[in-house]
Amino acid sequence: MGVEKKPVNLWVKRILVTITVIALLGVGVIWYIFSEKFTDTVDVTADYTVNALDLIHEFEKDDAAANKKYAEKIVVVNGRVTEIEAADTTVNIKMTDTTSGSYVIFAFQQQHLAEAKSLQEGDSVGIKGSCSGGAYSKILETEFITFKRAALNK
Amino acid sequence: MKKTMLLITVLACALASVAQKKTTTSGTINFDATTPIDALPKAENKTVIAAVDTKKGTVAFEVVMKNFAFTNPRIQEHFNGPRWLDTEKFPTATFNGNITNLSAINFKKDGTYEADVAGDLTIHGVTKPVTTKGTVVVTGKTVTTNAEFDIKLADYNVDGPQIGAGKIAKEPKITVAAIMQ
Repeated sequence: MGVEKKPVNLWVKRILVTITVIALLGVGVIWYIFSEKFTDTVDVTADYTVNALDLIHEFEKDDAAANKKYAEKIVVVNGRVTEIEAADTTVNIKMTDTTSGSYVIFAFQQQHLAEAKSLQEGDSVGIKGSCSGGAYSKILETEFITFKRAALNK
Repeated sequence: MKKTMLLITVLACALASVAQKKTTTSGTINFDATTPIDALPKAENKTVIAAVDTKKGTVAFEVVMKNFAFTNPRIQEHFNGPRWLDTEKFPTATFNGNITNLSAINFKKDGTYEADVAGDLTIHGVTKPVTTKGTVVVTGKTVTTNAEFDIKLADYNVDGPQIGAGKIAKEPKITVAAIMQ
């Protein structure tokens, strides 16, 4: 008399396979999300293209409205470099309204730091970056608009 | 003649006042909230406005919170979001304080000095007193300052499931550097 084999429950098998697939997909999605990096700004389409002085005046006129419009948007700013300022081991580029002292400042993206260092005061350039918005500085008593992940707009 | 003398005096006073106030718009603040299970919550803000008054010993910083640059878009989103720093509602962070051992620093002589700084730090709309030690390096007319301190996120009403789960440090390390002229 042979040993009676217990039939494998097909449904249990299916459930185990489904759970494994879902778990693997979950791990994949989490891995993708957390290993994702910001795209090179050069490859991102700009939401707006503006002149530096126009941008400054827009923020000076209505800070709240301008922040709503530009914050976290990719913007190309065309203007003249008025200052190259040391920022730790690198430099930031500034475009200043010499009448009011208000300014736009660009912190360059890691892979574009050399571009910032290559610029000179007086250069007319287009810089593309992620606008972080503007604020009124109580220290300097001027409006200032900051950008991160900037690159030369070529 | 009297008017000319008065004008010269006023101009001289104004210039002296400018000279004693050193500023930069490119100060750097590093925010490090990494933990053993998550190396991503780390960012740098390179457009910090900083000022030091070499006569009065006052120190001030202004930071646009949205300009902290993370490498990961999701962490950037969380940082700015309403469950963490809520930068829409609280767009800036500020520090206003004093060098409490001002007599130990000679801003007219090149050198490296230890500075004790005390003041009020405002983050997420909450103001708390902070004390820290920093370094002041005087090189000609340039003053370079460096400081490092920890903050308790809970003190600034910053909490959330990720902090509770240990993915974000409860006491991030803040490193400040500013080259002022």
